[in-house]
Amino acid sequence: MALKALDIYKLLPKKNCKECGDPTCLTFAMKLASGKGDIEKCPYLDDHAKSVLGASTKPPVRKIKIGVGERAFVVGEEFVQFRHEKTFYHPPGIMVSVSDTQTKPEIEQIVTNVRDYVLTRIGMDLRLNGIAIRNDSNNPEQFGTAVSYAEGCADLPVVLMAGTLAAAEAGLHECGNYRPIVHCATRENYREYCSLTKKSGAVLAIRAGTPDEMAELSTLCTEAGQDALLLDLSSRSLRQFINDSTIIRQHAITRTTPSLGYPVFYDATIPDNADAALVLGILKYGAVIVIGPPTRPSEKALLTLRQNIYTDPQKPIQMTAGLYRVGNPGKDAPVLMTVNFSLTYFTLQGYLESSRVSCYMLIVDTEGLSVLTAVAAGKLNETMVRDAIKKYGVENEVSHRTLIIPGYASPLSGRIEEETGWKVLVGPRDAAEIGEYLETEWKA
Amino acid sequence: MTLQTQNIWNGRIGTVTIGADRAHGGTRTLQYTLGGEQDLAAVGPGATQQRPLIAAEICDDPGIWSPIVNTFMGDTVNDTAGWAGTMESEYHPDIVRLHLTSTRKRNFKDFSGIPETVSGVLKSTGLPLIIEGSNDPSIDSEVYQKCGEASSGERVLLGTAEAGRYRSIAAAAMAYNHCIIAQSPIDINLAKQLNILLKEIGVPYDRILIDPYTGALGYGFEYSYSVMERIRYAALKGDQDLAMTMISAAPDSLNIREVREARDDETDRTAATWEFYTAFSAVIAGASIVCVRHPLAIPLLKSAIDSIWPHSAGREA
Ligand code: B12
Ligand code: SF4
Repeated sequence: MALKALDIYKLLPKKNCKECGDPTCLTFAMKLASGKGDIEKCPYLDDHAKSVLGASTKPPVRKIKIGVGERAFVVGEEFVQFRHEKTFYHPPGIMVSVSDTQTKPEIEQIVTNVRDYVLTRIGMDLRLNGIAIRNDSNNPEQFGTAVSYAEGCADLPVVLMAGTLAAAEAGLHECGNYRPIVHCATRENYREYCSLTKKSGAVLAIRAGTPDEMAELSTLCTEAGQDALLLDLSSRSLRQFINDSTIIRQHAITRTTPSLGYPVFYDATIPDNADAALVLGILKYGAVIVIGPPTRPSEKALLTLRQNIYTDPQKPIQMTAGLYRVGNPGKDAPVLMTVNFSLTYFTLQGYLESSRVSCYMLIVDTEGLSVLTAVAAGKLNETMVRDAIKKYGVENEVSHRTLIIPGYASPLSGRIEEETGWKVLVGPRDAAEIGEYLETEWKA
Repeated sequence: MTLQTQNIWNGRIGTVTIGADRAHGGTRTLQYTLGGEQDLAAVGPGATQQRPLIAAEICDDPGIWSPIVNTFMGDTVNDTAGWAGTMESEYHPDIVRLHLTSTRKRNFKDFSGIPETVSGVLKSTGLPLIIEGSNDPSIDSEVYQKCGEASSGERVLLGTAEAGRYRSIAAAAMAYNHCIIAQSPIDINLAKQLNILLKEIGVPYDRILIDPYTGALGYGFEYSYSVMERIRYAALKGDQDLAMTMISAAPDSLNIREVREARDDETDRTAATWEFYTAFSAVIAGASIVCVRHPLAIPLLKSAIDSIWPHSAGREA
């Protein structure tokens, strides 16, 4: 079981010497308790403390890095079953599959899309993560060639869905130094796979039919010296995946079965319900998910869902309050007031940019609440608007005294006018209409 | 050893019956009893798991409906009853959810039109109905009275009660033997409070469905997903005041930027995909009824739900 900060504190030397990088032993203990600390950082721990803390302060789901370079990603290091208990930390890597029976241009087209596709939402660049190459030909040489095609056009993390040891070897020959995932070892051949992947520093996906068999196999692998593992339960149905993956997550985070404390690998390329499998992978603890080349609508939806599920539920993503410019606003440019919820800011900013009217955005600190939510919660009011105008020197930037407020903030318009002395125009509710609105209504 | 899931539950979700077939005094071709689950959605033994239902949303005034759906359906949207029938025969949802959007018009007075619309829909489809009455407290009482009366005996699900306005709808539900949707803004405590308020004025818990409010994917869904998980969790831990089945609809899905700005040849696919991702995630978070507007979202959901719940448990044909 995970230790509480106070239990950990009791085992620490209590010197408060700061050598661990934390100001006090207690803050160090709190870090350890949250699984974010490293006991090695305190040079004064006795052996007893080390042995107690060693096992129980490591993250219950092992952290594993996949790939190298810019597009490398980390999975694992998760602590909870439900995101509302804390948060989910490392979004799953989405690996798009190609087959070694495809032609070079076909493979390159898919790889290039994964390399280049970016969905920018709320100021974040969301991407697919890598390529899974399937050995459909059953020919190690052909498999190796397909891997070289993929490697040749992008530095993306890869999964070698080799199927056989010979193919795995051929694939590793092409990309062994780039921390690929080798898929997959079973009870029958794990020794060979362990030594092969250990040699090159690759991550090993292991496959077993039930959580029990998986726990055993993972123990065997760590005994064989390979502990960069991903667990593939090769779940036969969607329902089975939910169950298996839930069992693995629970046994890992409660530390009842530490050998299940590895990230989950899920091949979601099932016929008929590929989108459903992908959704489940994202919601239910998938860490590396293999999919077929997604359609454009699915691509956007899956990246958005992943972003939603892996957002910290305790605090909304916020902007710093202040005065922001869109384009090159002059003295007579409009000033639009809005809130500091990132989603609101970026949605409005996007529409303002496409309207091509240079303007100012005055961002008021509503503690990250959206317009409607802030109005409903009383987190947006006239004094805040007045103070923001003063604080960010809006009166020096523009020569007029007119403020455009969001349509949803219309109940506040009178009070904002009184408090600021500015003339208030109530804008549209929907930011999509802002371009048209500025064109027809705005006169400095 | 056989490793199992480890949550220890001591509650179960209460049941609620929607729709009334002939044997139960109505005219529906089937009725559903939802609830009874004793674990998280799709977790644990299949016997205690009800298959979630798909509701197809339609309305009686397409002027304020998604232009994407209106274009896709063409003229059908101008004939409410025909629309309901088409949804049933061509897209096979489990429920039809009728929004009386006509009541949103300023100074709405056409109360006598409501029974006509409702009975038209009841005639054109045999599926159980959800009826969304008004949005305006000043006409609530009359609208719900008309909805309730026109569908008397059919055990419809009436929507939507909120903390500030639940009396009229509760009165109509009790008078005509219907169920109601209790909506609160993404907050487990407010959901609980509303259920208690409803209980205090005499609505039994087996007539209430919780709607925790669903924000669109990318526009608040992360909050809705977690509040559904929390409600289900609290219910399974034994909180009776939250142990109702949940209904989820993301009314803003088809208005969001990603859907509106999809390429012309991808608009329908994008709309359906967006609704599918949201609704299917809601099912996994614990919703028993998920509502969609684009007809093409229905087959996607159906296929996914059927593969997890191959039996059609909730259905009493
Ligand atoms: C997610 C959400 C939450 C999240 C918070 C999200 C956040 N960071 O704000 C949580 C769960 C915490 C929450 C809480 C509450 N919520 Co809430 N929430 C929502 C939800 C589903 C989505 C909000 C959102 O993200 N919108 C997207 C952003 C981009 O929208 P926006 O900021 O309004 O910006 C748009 C426009 O305003 C416009 N715009 C923005 N700036 C500007 C500027 C100008 C000049 C112009 C012209 C336009 C413009 O452009 C944007 C895009 O069109 C809405 C439902 C909805 N449809 O809005 C309910 C909603 C806003 N919430 C509501 C309520 C009541 C609450 C609570 C008060 C409930 C409670 N617990 O007491 C609390 C209050 C918060 C608190 N005390 O902590 C109600 C408000 C009812 C009302 N009409 O007043 C809503 C409408 C839900 C409902 N129907 O019941 N909520
Ligand atoms: S290094 Fe060790 S003794 Fe020093 S403050 Fe950190 S925890 Fe305490």
